[in-house]
Amino acid sequence: MKKIIYLFVFICTLAVLSSCSEKSDPDYDSQNFTSIYDNDQFSAATTPIDFKQTADGGYIVLGERRLDGPNFRGVYLLKTDKFGKFEKALEMDVQYVHPVGDLINVGNLYYFFCMNASDQQAQLVSVDAATLTATVIPVTGGITYPSAASQDGNSLLLLSFNHVDKLSMVSRHDVSGALSGMDEPRKFSIGAGDEVDEPIMNHFLRTGKRFPFQVGRIPGGLYYFNGFENYTFSLVFTDLADDGADGVVNGQQENGGFSAVYPLGGNKFAASRFNFGDNYFLPNVNLSTTGTSMSELMGGNTLPELVSNAPVRIIKAVVKKKNVVVYASDTRSKQIGLFFYDEATGKFLGSRYLGFSNPFEVAGVMQTTDNGLAVCGTTYLAGRFPRICIIKLSEEESGTVIK
Amino acid sequence: MKNFCCLLLCLLLATAGLAQSRKTPKLPKFNKNKEKNVFLKKQWWLAFKAGPNLSGAKVIRSYSAISPTNYEPTVIAKKYRNYKDLGAQATLEATFYFTGLSLSLQPTYRHNRFGYTNNYSWTDSENPENANNRLELKYVQQQKVEYFDLPILAKYEKMYNKISPYIQAGIYTSFLINANKSVDVSGVDYASGGENQFKNERIIVGASDLFAKKHWGLLGGAGIYLNQGNVRFNLDIMYKQSMSNIASTKNRFGSDRLSGVGDTMDDMKLSSVSITAGCLFPLRFLGRNFRSTDINK
Repeated sequence: MKKIIYLFVFICTLAVLSSCSEKSDPDYDSQNFTSIYDNDQFSAATTPIDFKQTADGGYIVLGERRLDGPNFRGVYLLKTDKFGKFEKALEMDVQYVHPVGDLINVGNLYYFFCMNASDQQAQLVSVDAATLTATVIPVTGGITYPSAASQDGNSLLLLSFNHVDKLSMVSRHDVSGALSGMDEPRKFSIGAGDEVDEPIMNHFLRTGKRFPFQVGRIPGGLYYFNGFENYTFSLVFTDLADDGADGVVNGQQENGGFSAVYPLGGNKFAASRFNFGDNYFLPNVNLSTTGTSMSELMGGNTLPELVSNAPVRIIKAVVKKKNVVVYASDTRSKQIGLFFYDEATGKFLGSRYLGFSNPFEVAGVMQTTDNGLAVCGTTYLAGRFPRICIIKLSEEESGTVIK
Repeated sequence: MKNFCCLLLCLLLATAGLAQSRKTPKLPKFNKNKEKNVFLKKQWWLAFKAGPNLSGAKVIRSYSAISPTNYEPTVIAKKYRNYKDLGAQATLEATFYFTGLSLSLQPTYRHNRFGYTNNYSWTDSENPENANNRLELKYVQQQKVEYFDLPILAKYEKMYNKISPYIQAGIYTSFLINANKSVDVSGVDYASGGENQFKNERIIVGASDLFAKKHWGLLGGAGIYLNQGNVRFNLDIMYKQSMSNIASTKNRFGSDRLSGVGDTMDDMKLSSVSITAGCLFPLRFLGRNFRSTDINK
């Protein structure tokens, strides 16, 4: 009888204890992770440009890699599973250099622009994420030096630079690389003189300041690009019906302007600007899409914790059932800062800093299908080797940021 | 932690005090004829014991924040340093004895230390002319965890004169009190013009969020009682094996400082071997003539 009682007590205790123990959960593993994609080559350097979540829940990263020979950076693609674990990488031929974001998803394929190293002609590349195979598609329109791209429905918008005629050019393409809805790219003069394109060339060669080139469209409305126009780094609005701007928000030559814009509807934008190294966030600002205005007069929230002329990424997201605008940028403490603002009012809601011990720099941020946030960036392993990283925050964890 | 130790000490002193408080003990009636008295076959014992332990980790599933792209993950795999780092534990034991068998509750404060190392290396093997382009790093991680254990054990003992060897086995649940983790990074940099050996400042983080708040396991061991007067001294060796994961699956990457250097917790089970020594006080039959050896007569 005594033995039966002992056995009964033992079994009951075992059942209770095992029911409340910590169990491995693949959901947790995909909701929260930090992955740093290392290469054991001393001279290897890979930095991300943009990333997207793929149909299998994993991630595809468009990046650039240091090349031994050419002045430009090579193309690097990386695919991970949904847990952030490395699956495949592709180093494209050194003939193709200078990839630019956005990485665009149309149908089952991902697209981005790069250029031919020998003649600087823009090339469209389609990527099958499942096999990580890339197909190069020539771009029509005589376009050189691609600077930025974005999606416009099933079309692709491209901002480029014409080194010979000193032009910023905006073009729209279909996925075959052909111009779509226009006979030739729209042209915007950056001004005459040899010295005007020097900072732009330094951007392409990675020997000088990197400019936050951007192109996009206000949903259902005007197109815009953030680039050089009339000697100044400006936010330019255009209907793409013809050459020239419909409206311009001027910066301060190459020393001021917008570091990122995100259209919220109508003339309302979430934006950030830089001015002689200082950074300002404008989470809810009305921009005039006609006429001429000045970005330096727009004020904004000062962020002295950010590096000089900080790169900024802006997305819309739903966090804790609130529509928010998320800013991601680089801090002086070598972390990636996430700043959350109410989309409707621009009110500050909270911040979160990612990365520690080694330096971290932001390349992209997105809301994932599980309503979490993913941040892609560069970290410097051992304080010196640039490597791509992805930091994933669960819906619950990103919600804790909102006050 | 301090509060817990104070509580443990107070309980021990109070118990010992109660046990010895009779100034003029009278022999209880039921103690006059020990051979025939069935009550002598039952006894409550209260004990305090303490000693060192050694810990080891058994990995259920390995995780790393570093995801290699051109080499095998095994190159940077963690190598656990099992049963090398000394910890300690203290136990307050309440045991009910009945005809050789005992049921024992042994609340324990346990401090475990265990660690692992991993190595990273970057070379310029694709450019042999740059053979000096080389960096080697060694990471030494150490984890210190403190638990409050609630074990329940069945014990069987056999008396030989004043010596009673025993075996015991049972089950326990552990509640995390505190945890911290340190990472020492050292290395050799051959690229900076010579063989530059360096050691970075230690990274120490509070790691309570990285460990499961509770886990459970099985334990067993053997020991020996030395019966002296109406008290017993004991020395035992115990093996504990957690049966559930001791890492927090939810907060695996919860420390930016650790994941920033590529470190993250594995899913693992913790085992430990402890040696404890202590003293047991009877709570019944405290008459002058009672001896701890009486229980087996």
